[in-house]
Amino acid sequence: MNGPSDSAPARGTLAARAGYATFARAWAKAITGTSYMPVTQAELEAFLESLTVRLVDALFAEPFSLRHGYQIGADLVAAHIASAEGLGRTIEVIDLRLLRDLGLSGDDVRDRMARVLGTVAIGYARALRDRTLDEQESIRRAALVAREQAEHALRESEARFRHQATHDPLTDLPNRTLFTERLDAVFGRQGTGRRLGLCFVDLDGFKMVNDTLGHHVGDLLLVSVADRLRRGLGTHLVARMGGDEFVILVEDTTCTDDVLKVADAALAAITEPSTVDGHELRVSASVGIVERPVEGTSPREVMRDADITLHWAKTAGKGRWALFDAGRNQRELTRYALSSAMPSALDRGEFCLDYQPLVSLTDGALLGVEALVRWRHPQLGVLRPDHFIGLAEETGLIVRLGSWVLAEACRQARRWADLSPTAPFVSVNLAVRQVREPELVDEVTALLQEHSLPPDRLQLEITESAMMSTADESVGALRSLADLGVRVAIDDFGTGYSNLAYLSKLPVCELKVAGSFVEGLRAPAADPASLTDERILATLVSLAHTLDLTVTAEGVETANQADRLRAIGCDAAQGWHFGRPGSPSHVEALLL
Amino acid sequence: MRRPDWAPESIDIERPSVARMYDYYLGGSHNFAVDRAAAQALIAAIPEAPLMAQANRAFLRRTVRYLVEAGVRQFLDIGSGIPTVGNVHEIAQEVAPDARVAYVDVDPVAVAHSREILSGNDQAVVIQEDIRHPERILDHPDIHKLINFDQPVALMIVAVLHFVSDDAQPAHIVKTLRRPLVPGSYLVLSQASHEGRSDEEREQAIAIYEQTDSPLAYRGRDEVAQFFHGFEMVEPGLVWVPEWRPDTPESAEDAERAVYIGGVGRLT
Repeated sequence: MNGPSDSAPARGTLAARAGYATFARAWAKAITGTSYMPVTQAELEAFLESLTVRLVDALFAEPFSLRHGYQIGADLVAAHIASAEGLGRTIEVIDLRLLRDLGLSGDDVRDRMARVLGTVAIGYARALRDRTLDEQESIRRAALVAREQAEHALRESEARFRHQATHDPLTDLPNRTLFTERLDAVFGRQGTGRRLGLCFVDLDGFKMVNDTLGHHVGDLLLVSVADRLRRGLGTHLVARMGGDEFVILVEDTTCTDDVLKVADAALAAITEPSTVDGHELRVSASVGIVERPVEGTSPREVMRDADITLHWAKTAGKGRWALFDAGRNQRELTRYALSSAMPSALDRGEFCLDYQPLVSLTDGALLGVEALVRWRHPQLGVLRPDHFIGLAEETGLIVRLGSWVLAEACRQARRWADLSPTAPFVSVNLAVRQVREPELVDEVTALLQEHSLPPDRLQLEITESAMMSTADESVGALRSLADLGVRVAIDDFGTGYSNLAYLSKLPVCELKVAGSFVEGLRAPAADPASLTDERILATLVSLAHTLDLTVTAEGVETANQADRLRAIGCDAAQGWHFGRPGSPSHVEALLL
Repeated sequence: MRRPDWAPESIDIERPSVARMYDYYLGGSHNFAVDRAAAQALIAAIPEAPLMAQANRAFLRRTVRYLVEAGVRQFLDIGSGIPTVGNVHEIAQEVAPDARVAYVDVDPVAVAHSREILSGNDQAVVIQEDIRHPERILDHPDIHKLINFDQPVALMIVAVLHFVSDDAQPAHIVKTLRRPLVPGSYLVLSQASHEGRSDEEREQAIAIYEQTDSPLAYRGRDEVAQFFHGFEMVEPGLVWVPEWRPDTPESAEDAERAVYIGGVGRLT
């Protein structure tokens, strides 16, 4: 920097210092409010006083330099005195007061002043322009960064949201939503002859883990199982459907074997022992499998069938897989439909009784008839008992159905008794459940009274196994019935324990020998097997007679069988040879 | 798919931002055409608007200096806006280099800008959060990394609450923010007031700010005083901001034109 010329004021004097301060104060006042300055008024004045010194230096520098003025202008802007007003007032105050306040003079001082002010204005304008551009650039950059961040965050949050919406929070496996999407996608894809497989996996006894070790351990076990499935099944989609239920999608199978391998791998992965929260746990699972062509089925059908099949695997003993079988499913569906239709069918009177003759082997007389229940199904036609008695036993409807059969048989027996003094007794099958009903004795008593039916016109048939499984009270009930005079017969004798010793303790009057023994008598008598059956039958008959029981052979189809049974002393017979089951009118025809 | 509530909003720079309008009032160029248009509309309605902003900024400067001198070394500045000239960390760290400053603003551009300015400054941090969620501010890990709530903190809520409507319960917000503060902490608060303004000016200002990202909620002195509940007012109490410990007697002249009411409260 050039030193001050001889025209420059000596700053050392008190008066001169006061002049600088006065001017700086006036300058500060002029620019106050033109823009925000982050300093106190005193600091501003001190700063401007230092600039005043430099201004005076610039004014008197020899040779005159543009740089001083430029720099002063730039420094003003740097000190945030940065507005058009700030510049205007600065020039105004300098031009008006600087020379006067500082007592300055000189030949060319006006010229110099004009030039200094010009350079200050140039330096100021340049700096303000640069500052404006810098600030614009920086705010624009900030806006870009903010936008990028917002977009990135949005993408991330959408991805996160999508993940959350399609995954199970506990195991992080895909959830039902994602699984359904993927399954639907398989069906949406083009191409003929494509197949798919599905495994429905359900842990065995998981509830036990939860109940005994707590839900925390249960959850950890699920996480561990999920990890093992993920590891063990490679690229196949494993989803958690909820609870302890998982499902595996096997796309583009070529045959059933493909999915069976996956099921085996899943079972192997699940049964690996694992330590969960310090407990050594070993779980098994059941798997329901469906594998079929994509064409001709639907996602809903595949899921439903896999679920049904899982149930089969469970009922088959757990820890295994089961493969969907359309035939079995159809049978079960039919059974289900029949089972649910039966109660209203009974109300609507869709059931009826056929009767099959029981004939004396001694004289061919009609001793009795066995009542056989039929269901005249509006769509399926006449159904035999083996189609629906099992279902009725499962649902408990057997008690109501049995009561109806008993009442109807008694009513019919009365009709025949009115027609003929030698009318046959009616033999009615009783189910175990009926025998256990405490009202059975009252019910039979009431029916006999209602129809004024002699008790020996009614025979109740109970299977050997039913008899063995009934409690003492039930035996008591049978005894009461026998005491009334009702005939009690053991049905299907020879198929169960055939506990002869027990027979003597029961209130039984007749044995009905199972058709399987009688079947043996169809072969020529020389056949050793046939001979064995005959000998067994002969022994049975002789033993029954010893116990004072009569014997009726079931399933007699030929005259030869009848002859051989007669020869061994069998009392009566039933079967096609003596008459097929028929309507009550058939029986009436025999009576007249 | 519906956007979940924790997903960020997109950046809309086509809408005036009160942070950038404020920068314009202060003489800065950290603003866009929309911001300048809105700011100029306000200046047309209320010509002193730039002076008001400057007076408020000067209030901020004087309070921070006062607090640094009082020994406070931690500042939590909520609604910091565009952190250009004379911001808290500049003022505080100039005197006390160990002063720590946490900035909070809801404007993502202001936050991105702050982050750029603060890069390399270990003693300052900025987070993006809305003052309407004070517990999120207090729970933010970046805040906890810098601010030790076992030591006094200066809670700065300067020129912010007039952007928080009564529905958002501003008094409850301040109360929540006060909760973790230990005795010896301070609250610095200022807000725009309608007192001393004509109805016409007030309505025009409200109409202009309706177009920005933050509508205005003017409050009177009594309402502002309630925000200091639980604090002991530092002299001279709640005043027009130029009247708060002015550098020179003249700078407090025409103080009521400053619109802003403010003060400093101490937690004892």
